[in-house]
Amino acid sequence: MTRRVRLGLFLVAGAGLAVVLLLGFGGLPSFGHAHELDGAVVNLDEPTLRHATDVVTALNFDLRAFDTLGEEFILFASVTGVALLLRTLRQEEEEDQEITPGIEDHRFAGASDGVKLTSLLLIPLLIAFGAYLVFHGQLTPGGGFQGGVVLAAGPIAVLLAGRYLSMKRIAPKRLLEVSDALGAAAYGLIGLGGLIFTGVYLEDPLPLGVSGQLLSAGMMPLNSIAVGLEVTGAFLLTWTQFFDQTLVGPPSGS
Amino acid sequence: MSHLSALPVLVPFLAGPLLVAVGFFAPRWFDDSLATLAALAVTTLCVLLAVHAAPHPYAYWMGGWRPQHGVAIGISLSIDVTGAGLAAFAGVLVTAALVYSLRYFDAIEGLFHGLMLLFMAGMVGFALTGDLFNLVVFFEVMSAAAFALTAYRIEERAPIQGALNFAITNSIAGYAMFIAVGLLYARTGALNMAQIGAALSSHHADPLVIVAMTLLFLGFLTKAAAVPLHFWLADAHAVAPVPVCVLFSGVMVELGVYAVARLYWVVFAGPLAPHAAAVRAIFVGLGVVTALLGAAMCFLQRHIKRLLAFSTISHVGMLLCGVALLSGQGLSGVAVYVVGHGLTKAALFMCAGVLLHRFATIDEYELHGRGREVPVVGGLMAVGALLLAGIPPFTTFMGKSLLEAASSALPGYGWLIAVYIVVSAMTGGAVLRVAGRVFLGWGPAEGPHPEQARAAQERVDEERGPRGHTPVLMVLVPALLLVGVLVLGLIPGAVPGTERYVHQFVAHGNYPAWVLHGARVALPHVAPSHISAEDYAYGAISAVGAVLAAGLGLFGRPLRESLPARLRRSGQNAVGVVRGLHNGHIGDYIAWWSAGVSLIGGICLIALH
Repeated sequence: MTRRVRLGLFLVAGAGLAVVLLLGFGGLPSFGHAHELDGAVVNLDEPTLRHATDVVTALNFDLRAFDTLGEEFILFASVTGVALLLRTLRQEEEEDQEITPGIEDHRFAGASDGVKLTSLLLIPLLIAFGAYLVFHGQLTPGGGFQGGVVLAAGPIAVLLAGRYLSMKRIAPKRLLEVSDALGAAAYGLIGLGGLIFTGVYLEDPLPLGVSGQLLSAGMMPLNSIAVGLEVTGAFLLTWTQFFDQTLVGPPSGS
Repeated sequence: MSHLSALPVLVPFLAGPLLVAVGFFAPRWFDDSLATLAALAVTTLCVLLAVHAAPHPYAYWMGGWRPQHGVAIGISLSIDVTGAGLAAFAGVLVTAALVYSLRYFDAIEGLFHGLMLLFMAGMVGFALTGDLFNLVVFFEVMSAAAFALTAYRIEERAPIQGALNFAITNSIAGYAMFIAVGLLYARTGALNMAQIGAALSSHHADPLVIVAMTLLFLGFLTKAAAVPLHFWLADAHAVAPVPVCVLFSGVMVELGVYAVARLYWVVFAGPLAPHAAAVRAIFVGLGVVTALLGAAMCFLQRHIKRLLAFSTISHVGMLLCGVALLSGQGLSGVAVYVVGHGLTKAALFMCAGVLLHRFATIDEYELHGRGREVPVVGGLMAVGALLLAGIPPFTTFMGKSLLEAASSALPGYGWLIAVYIVVSAMTGGAVLRVAGRVFLGWGPAEGPHPEQARAAQERVDEERGPRGHTPVLMVLVPALLLVGVLVLGLIPGAVPGTERYVHQFVAHGNYPAWVLHGARVALPHVAPSHISAEDYAYGAISAVGAVLAAGLGLFGRPLRESLPARLRRSGQNAVGVVRGLHNGHIGDYIAWWSAGVSLIGGICLIALH
């Protein structure tokens, strides 16, 4: 197909698709009239039966915990895929060895002193905030997914401070792979605890504690930590894989 | 026993990360044995679940969130023999593919094995779950692993492009399905399939339900590669490593068809009951187009993996027809045929893998006569071709006979038998032609489109080219799979048993009872279908047709050249146009995808309202 034919076909088809979708959307309940059954059940059950005060986390780690397991592994499979696709071929390995000795640090050295200083100041703050989000998942908005992304931003700040190789020393690829894999597997293993101690997969065998305390809501804090571990590893691994392709190795001009 | 229900998903979810985490220092034998053991364990567990669900199917509620007053708020695995059986079948093929890979290529740091296990977890979860959102989640697990496995050979460009086409097309299908899940949730406030079905059953189908149905069906049929949503499949199969192709063609594509059947009978059969005839017409039409276009494209290929891929598209068309007949007998045929076709196709891909491993090319003409070095593989390929053609009385034939019986039982659909025969003869014939040319050196050594020979060159490993030997395992595994096709359909009670369980599957009134209320639903009594003399005749015609088609492909050049010039030219033009559509351009593919979805969506809205 020529560009023109393709565009024509897509415009017609896209318009048709839009009409089909809009006809379907016409049947949606009007604003403010949604089915509230699930919402009511969740709001009622989770704080009383599970002692969780953040209902979103409770939904993810309790009612729909099996979906979260699947989603964890979508992320894990994607990151493993990235590691597979951006792996160093043997031929490239030889090329790299010729070039690497020349590199003291990386080519992202253009940052101003202001950016470098701010980045250095940000590192402890990011890590503290990320850890807070992970550990308070069942209490306040946040949890392993959100906290993991913030935690991963910590080492990225090292990169912004102009020290990519230092960042790779703090968070080497092997460590990230292990943290990614360990977090993913840990989530599955926590559920297995339910199977062993209560007879049902993902059921909560732990004491529920006092609502609002750091250690409450049964397995949820553990789930949150597992997810946080995986997400931190997954994001850092993906980023470093891409940085390796662009920041290290032969200058793009040659 | 039901305590074990979650383990078939969990085992690969634990073994996969372990392989990835220790991959960089673990030796190859560790990866191989852990992955194979995990696959075997999953297969065994799925078989146990199927046995446990045989007297009456049951739901397993994650986290103990059982439905209260018939309202499901948790996630269930809704396990019946059909779902668990399909999961077990996926397990068998993963095991076979892993054993085949032992000697096939140098796998990289546990990543290949880890992704294969994640892929398996996705397929097994997909087959077992009873929750609509969870179904789409497992669709994505399956996809994420499959995309990466397709692009495994990163040292070349083509695998990356094939994987990108696969990823983009299937991701768009995923979006469409999430929209549909949102629509159904807004309407019913439920995500459990049984509960959605129960909530919808008392109402007419309105545009919201019809659009949700179209998006879900076409989303899953994108994975199943129905025309015109199929373009990604041949590109992905052409470049993916052989053990991965085995799973794509053998079971992943069929899972798309399974999801359509499950959703129809659980969710949409109630509201669409008054329009069953229209649904049947629309999706049989889609199936026929898929079957015929796939068969034609299959016969036109010289790249053997592409040829097998188009044959899969063609057979998916047949399966779709079987589902769309909306009868228990038709779906029984589909169930039997999925097993027969899946094992046959897996074995054929493994034979192609032997050629790649040995000669580093998969081009039919380049390989002319070179297969004489491995005559056993030629024999396997010929047997596979005849099984693909549905030669009596083996498993593929049994499935096809049920499909034929179901078609002639419905007034106005008897002509489908001709479609099945054409599909069987052309796809079987194409493979038989390859076997004749490669292993016997029959027919000319130079063919049309010589420029395609380059695209068929493929190295199994990064550093190694052609090899002078073929490991025994690489012949043994496909041979065992073919023995399976020869034997399974002939086991007394296998086919009638399948019919009974499939009739349970289509009893949509019972599904909410056993899922939401824990009722013990007994297995229905079904009079087993008899295979008539006509069926044997149709089977014989398909097999003879395949031999004739192969002969035409090998020795038909003088015949073609004796045709009048004008006829020949218009034939060539038509072939050129159809070929040109499959050009690897992702923009084209998405344009066709949108056209297909809007067209079928429009037809459904008009015909079913």
